[in-house]
Amino acid sequence: MSETTGNPYRIYRVTWIILLIITMAMLAAEAFHLPRIFLIVFLLAFMMVKATMIGGNFMHLRYERPSLALMVAGGILITSLILYSFISREFGYISRHLSN
Amino acid sequence: MHGSDAAVLEAHWGGGAAPFGASWQKTMMWIFIVTDGLLFSGLLCGYAFLRHISPVPWPRQSEVFSIPFIALMTFILITSSMTMGTAVTAARLGDRRRAINNLAFTIFGGLSFLGCQAYEWSHFIHEGARLTSNPWGPPQFAQTFFVLTGFHGSHVFSGLVILIITLIRTSMGKTPAQGVEMAGLYWHFVDLVWVFIFTLFYLL
Repeated sequence: MSETTGNPYRIYRVTWIILLIITMAMLAAEAFHLPRIFLIVFLLAFMMVKATMIGGNFMHLRYERPSLALMVAGGILITSLILYSFISREFGYISRHLSN
Repeated sequence: MHGSDAAVLEAHWGGGAAPFGASWQKTMMWIFIVTDGLLFSGLLCGYAFLRHISPVPWPRQSEVFSIPFIALMTFILITSSMTMGTAVTAARLGDRRRAINNLAFTIFGGLSFLGCQAYEWSHFIHEGARLTSNPWGPPQFAQTFFVLTGFHGSHVFSGLVILIITLIRTSMGKTPAQGVEMAGLYWHFVDLVWVFIFTLFYLL
């Protein structure tokens, strides 16, 4: 960890406060019934910001080598996209055969 | 060893004894987290697809769940992640008392979260939700709820077991700082998964 000067615990409190503020903003967006497309973009963007903050600051990925961070974030993201397309295709195939 | 071979091994992508610049324990923990992350990504992809193809309109979550109560659960989990991070740094700096206190706070947070989840499940079941049907429309709604939150809850439970063992061993002086860090990585992962479930299942 490179943060050896200052209060070493400060980053957790700051991250905690930012995460709470983002969560409140997400709840407000849901409560105010924003147009659906805006709501989706807004919530997904904030979800990714929260995930990045937890991974970077709480799990210390920002202090690790970029190769480790890429393995974690890139691996899960790419596999999710492949999984989704795979599920969609397989489901269509199975449902077609079940209906015949 | 040839000079260029040594340069490749020392290069960022060259591999060698520590390709990620981390101990083998940490590397293994990260590999485990990635594979566990893929499990949840599969579950969330399945949920997204079932919702997408549902012929019956998906229920509005705020009419089924108490969103302020789910927000409270989120608050508890984020706070427990903050105390966990503090415990990891305290253990690294040799401040055992602070590490033990923050581990205890984290365990309290985890227990509170599980208590809230048990209440939510019992309330949901009491209102008629089952694996095969529910009063709000598509049966996939309750199915995905039970699977997603059930898997996540089981991870919270196993995280709690790990944390309790870590707390006991740390208070006995038997767990090195790295042991607390490994437990912390798992706990933050549980928090990370909740961020996705909270957004994709409860809010969207």
